[in-house]
Amino acid sequence: MATLTRPSTELNRRDLSAPWRHIDWVLVASVLLVSVMGVTMVFSATRGAEGPADTSYLKRQAVFMVIGVGILALSTLTDYRRLRDLALPAYIALSLLLLAVVSPLGTSSKGAQAWFAIGNFQLQPSEFAKIGLIVALAALLEHWHGDVDLRRVGIASAVAGLPMALILLQPDLGTMLVFVAITVAMFLMGGVKGRHLLLLTLVGVIGVVGVLNSNVLKEYQKDRLTVFLDPESDKGGSAYNVNQSIITIQQGGLTGDGLFQGRQTQLRFVPEQQTDFIFTVVGEELGFLGAATFLGLYGLIVWRVWRAANLARDTFGQLLCVGVLAMLAFQLFESVGMTMGIMPATGIPLPFMSYGGSSTITSFVAIAVVLNVHMRRFR
Amino acid sequence: MDSESPRLRLSILGVIVFSLFVALFARLYFLQVMSSEEGELEATANRVRVVQTEAPRGRILDAEGRVIVDNRTSLVVTVDPHELEDYDEDATDELLLRLAQELTRSGMPTKLASLERRLDDPQYSPLQPIPVAVDVPEELEVILAERAEDFPGVSVRRESVRAYPEGQLAAHVFGYVGRISPEEYEARMGGPGAEDDDPKPYQPDSSIGKTGVEYQYESELRGMPGEKVIEIDSGGKPVRVIEERPPVPGNDLQLTVDLDIQRNAEAQLADQIERLRGTFTPDGKRARAPAGAVTVVDPANGHVLAMASYPTYDPDEFVNGISAERYEQYVGGDAADNPLTNRVIGGLYPPGSTFKLFTAEAAVEKGLITGSTGYNDGGTYTLQGCNGPACTRQNAQRAVHGYVDLAQSLTVSSDVYYYWLGDRFWHDRDQYGDGIQEIARRYGLGAPSGIDLPGELGGLVPDPALKQQRHDANPVAFPEGTWYAGDNVNLAIGQGDVLVTPLQLANAYAAFANGGTLYQPQVVWRILQPKGDPDDPADVVRTNEPVVVRQFDIPSGARDPIERGLAGVVEPPEGTAKNAFEGFDTTEWSIVSKTGTAENSGGKADNAWFVAYAPADDPSYSVAVVLEEAGFGGSSAAPVVRRIFEPLAGEETTDASTSAVVGGND
Repeated sequence: MATLTRPSTELNRRDLSAPWRHIDWVLVASVLLVSVMGVTMVFSATRGAEGPADTSYLKRQAVFMVIGVGILALSTLTDYRRLRDLALPAYIALSLLLLAVVSPLGTSSKGAQAWFAIGNFQLQPSEFAKIGLIVALAALLEHWHGDVDLRRVGIASAVAGLPMALILLQPDLGTMLVFVAITVAMFLMGGVKGRHLLLLTLVGVIGVVGVLNSNVLKEYQKDRLTVFLDPESDKGGSAYNVNQSIITIQQGGLTGDGLFQGRQTQLRFVPEQQTDFIFTVVGEELGFLGAATFLGLYGLIVWRVWRAANLARDTFGQLLCVGVLAMLAFQLFESVGMTMGIMPATGIPLPFMSYGGSSTITSFVAIAVVLNVHMRRFR
Repeated sequence: MDSESPRLRLSILGVIVFSLFVALFARLYFLQVMSSEEGELEATANRVRVVQTEAPRGRILDAEGRVIVDNRTSLVVTVDPHELEDYDEDATDELLLRLAQELTRSGMPTKLASLERRLDDPQYSPLQPIPVAVDVPEELEVILAERAEDFPGVSVRRESVRAYPEGQLAAHVFGYVGRISPEEYEARMGGPGAEDDDPKPYQPDSSIGKTGVEYQYESELRGMPGEKVIEIDSGGKPVRVIEERPPVPGNDLQLTVDLDIQRNAEAQLADQIERLRGTFTPDGKRARAPAGAVTVVDPANGHVLAMASYPTYDPDEFVNGISAERYEQYVGGDAADNPLTNRVIGGLYPPGSTFKLFTAEAAVEKGLITGSTGYNDGGTYTLQGCNGPACTRQNAQRAVHGYVDLAQSLTVSSDVYYYWLGDRFWHDRDQYGDGIQEIARRYGLGAPSGIDLPGELGGLVPDPALKQQRHDANPVAFPEGTWYAGDNVNLAIGQGDVLVTPLQLANAYAAFANGGTLYQPQVVWRILQPKGDPDDPADVVRTNEPVVVRQFDIPSGARDPIERGLAGVVEPPEGTAKNAFEGFDTTEWSIVSKTGTAENSGGKADNAWFVAYAPADDPSYSVAVVLEEAGFGGSSAAPVVRRIFEPLAGEETTDASTSAVVGGND
């Protein structure tokens, strides 16, 4: 790059608004660092304690990461404002996919019908639908220019509610909660009045109580959600994961057991440690110093996303960034908080860390959107 | 909408997100910095298991170093419950059914249900393969190995179990081993007060000595279990071995028992009992002869050279756990015939005339008589100052011995002479006190000898105080609390309430033989290192030195006439055992002995006793034999001792069948 750019320095100095000059390298670097860390952690969680290391997860996660970086690079070539035109078709397409996945076309795993099996890979449309919702709400709210009356709140809520309802049918409560977080943050940012937000919250609380008392969720899922309130209650059953997870993080101590040396991790005491519980691997093997560094890098990412929202030249860009901010911050807080027993155990992936193609690529797409908003803030 | 609003709203979002981060950091700090030790402990408990392997027990050798109790390898079929986890119930059932069929085919009839029960038995650790069949033939091991894919989780393990190269020989001495009972396990391993840090920890299915030397010397015989500290994964599957300590076999024991003497003693005891069974005694009673016991003690140090109890049992039946039915056969039914009882230490009998030694010595020592005092034995004795038919006592078989001195009174076993002594002891009790009891107790009667075996009984030497005490404690069982002259004359001839074990008698006669040293009998001579060589002093861990219980003087004025009298017992013309020892050359190897014929109640045949030591000038063997309900001591019991002495004296072995019931009395 350096050799290419040098001859044209003169030209560029004059054109200060050239988008590539405003790429947020801090964000790019933090995302890459966290992703590389994620691939390493996935490997540690799946290599197996005995015999030759199992590298299949490592390879696949590395491929997902490369695809993500590719999308990141390609997306800089086009203007994010074009997303406005894509918003409606994308929203419709993703909603249809969410509908299809709960039909016999989808496959289920671990109690939720959330995937399409395509060859060796499993596609999880609810992950991509997050971006779809962010774009759709951004387009809608921008269109109203901050003038959102109750009727419009109703429309926007319906737009957000449709995918949520479909996801709840899978049922995947964790992902649905991500949608809630995205919606709330974007409503707040998009000018929905405080009293309307309160009303929505009320409706939401009633909804949650209704769901817990209905048969939409299986009994074990309800247990998982409430057990964090009292992890000692049921060590062998629902609380097992949470207890093992806490022990694992605890015993990492200040400096950790060392990479690939996690005593609990390598013996697989924590279920789903390469996906939803990936933070336990960080905590055990890298200790407080490593885990805090990881959280610090994550804080850097979230700060840069927030900053991009702050600097955005238009409401659409700002709303996009806020949507991504809410998505990343909530997923981090839920996924990490769950492993430490301060959030209910509802599995959602830790962006850039957890094993999984749909989640990893979605996270990269989200960052790509933010980068785009940031670099085009002068044009 | 004013321009500040989005900025404000964005700030609110920022603050919310920031506080989420603060919460995560705080929680992380708490877990990893402030309470990480707690997690460390829990994680270790999660992950590490200790698995023990039993060590072979020490061997048991005889005094000459010959192996009596050894170990052999037993092939044990085990099923690893972990491997079965991957199978559903039907597949598991099929596997177990196949296994049951294969076991049955190899000669070990097995039902599916019993295998299932075994796998569910909570006494087995789910971390280790569970034994389902023991002592399977080698062929089965081959079959299971060849068809390994049909038998996932099934394997054959080699286990060290007890082997008895000499069969049942000396079974009562070494005892048997069995699976540790929940109570024994609790006592050793669990709860407060238990030997918490038992250096040789037990598993709930460990073997443990139940009786005999196996019990008494458990801590020596038991090997140090091997220990494997293994790391397990979340599924409980072993991952790797963190630490391994191989098992160390237990120490060997060398007994004082001489197998040659033991073998002969057991054979003669059994032969004689089986021969006597069903015959008629000279007084016309039917000899049931259900049981008997014999022991040989070395008067020089208290070493038990032989110890045999009849009927006996097969220790091999206990090796892999005895069935409840079989055990019931051993202990149930007529408890008196219980083959598991070692009658040498656990059988209590009135000593009969063998007790006269103690009465005689008491009389001389207390000054009642001298060694040459005579008395006219007219066949009956009437208690002093007593009127009525019950006041007159008779000799056994209404014999009339005429004038007998002390020595003769023993040789011919005059009861009248001892009625007289007993009566006088009582009559002049202010002067002599409980003289007979005092001497009897000095010789170790009435108290356990202290032999290194479990289950020893102490017997009873009654006296007036004791009689009163027993009556006061339990007036129903002991309606009479007062001691009469009759009690004293009964005691003088070894009848009444006096009870002894064969070992006590043999040991008491040994003390008389060696001139007044009462040893604590012992069956274990030395403790050797595992697989130790008894001829190599370096392999000797410890020697059980002889323990002197007490030492006392036997005035020659008492000792000489008593010994002379007892030496005459096997001699013509008057000895009560002269017929049994007919042809035995006692000039080189003189025998000091006493017959005893102790009455049983209820019309049963008498218990036959014979106690002897030899050779008189250098006492090397002190023997006591008792045959329950078998007739007279001289005719029924003495032949057993003769045939035990024959090889020891270098005598030719007589044909036992011809001299089975030889004439003789008392």
